[in-house]
Amino acid sequence: MKCKRCRRAEAAVDLPSHHAAFCPDCFFLFFRRQVTEGIRKLRLLAPEDRVLVCVSGGKDSLVLWDVLMDEGYETEGLYIDLGIDGYSDRSKEKVLAYAASRGKTPIVVELAKEGIPIPEAARCVRMQECSICGTVKRYFFNRVAAEGKFTVVATGHNLDDETARLLGNLLHWQRDHLARQHPLLPGAGGGLVRKVKPLWRVSEVETAAYGFLKGIDYVTEECPMSEDATSLVYKEALSRIEDRMPGTRIVFYKGFLDPSNPLRKGPEAAAPADAAPMPEDGPVVDAMRVTEVDSEEDVGTPRACASCGAPTYAETCSFCRLKERVRKARSLRAARGSR
Amino acid sequence: MYNAPMITVRLPQKKKEIEVRGPRRVMDLLAEAGVRSTTVIVTQGRKLLTKDYRVEDGATIDVISVVSGG
Repeated sequence: MKCKRCRRAEAAVDLPSHHAAFCPDCFFLFFRRQVTEGIRKLRLLAPEDRVLVCVSGGKDSLVLWDVLMDEGYETEGLYIDLGIDGYSDRSKEKVLAYAASRGKTPIVVELAKEGIPIPEAARCVRMQECSICGTVKRYFFNRVAAEGKFTVVATGHNLDDETARLLGNLLHWQRDHLARQHPLLPGAGGGLVRKVKPLWRVSEVETAAYGFLKGIDYVTEECPMSEDATSLVYKEALSRIEDRMPGTRIVFYKGFLDPSNPLRKGPEAAAPADAAPMPEDGPVVDAMRVTEVDSEEDVGTPRACASCGAPTYAETCSFCRLKERVRKARSLRAARGSR
Repeated sequence: MYNAPMITVRLPQKKKEIEVRGPRRVMDLLAEAGVRSTTVIVTQGRKLLTKDYRVEDGATIDVISVVSGG
């Protein structure tokens, strides 16, 4: 199969959803154009932005960082070491190696040092790991961004992630979530930084192909905590549809983002979800919902957390409440153990 | 008896490997392995293969899942 753009070289990537196939060089142009168009159309980034790119060691976040650097944005990478045996070490290695290859040193937050490694915290408070992970990551995204005077936080969520979330929100008629779901979450002052998802137009296959062809060495294993993630069920359903009807995913998502869609408000009307109260009890949480835990309470202007000063809509922020619950659970266990 | 080389299809994330008699197109190999093309990239060494690429006996290809969870 020949490249549909240059018509000379052999194609390396075929994209039925675009009725196209590209050689590596033409695919790089295509991919970058998809990302820059996604940024331009939704005004995700401005040339003067200082961008904090959240990198996990996976393909999407490293590819995002790569593209943003190539496009000339001022970026730094943030890696959060979740404290997951083996997996976190391997992920960090990939991040450090990639960053070094670009002359960068990422900012690293180690949750074990922060006293809240995800697996242990989940056991202590008997919540799903993905739920805790979302709360903790959001906290550090905001904190590191504020401390480092970044104007925006960028994550590697792609078209597959966003459509899976959309399908989940629709199936459960999560109207609050639908109203807020968007590649642009505006900041709210007081330390809540704007968040963007510049890869919203590109699929997982496209980011993986880009990473492979660019020689980006990313971690291919999945987070062991996400094996039962609900998002995988929605992704499976959507990939079956995409297989039979290529292009459905992007039509689905673009239609949702259409400003005339009554299911959602514009990004300017959306309150950021970061400071939303954390569910206190019960068998929380659908993994689908954790990246943007919403609440009926998170409207208006955030105030400073009474404990740590982070922006919150409650008395204390969800991170501090989580830490307190973990601390109490540890004390209880220690007391039981000493009896 | 002489064992003619076959195509080796490796699925590292599933820790699985199958052998298939060639020549076969990538899309046929994926069907044989029970994998949907919208969930993987297929590589041979440093080369990325399109779904209609014809793989010959003796070749080894890797089927890399691209689906991330959470």
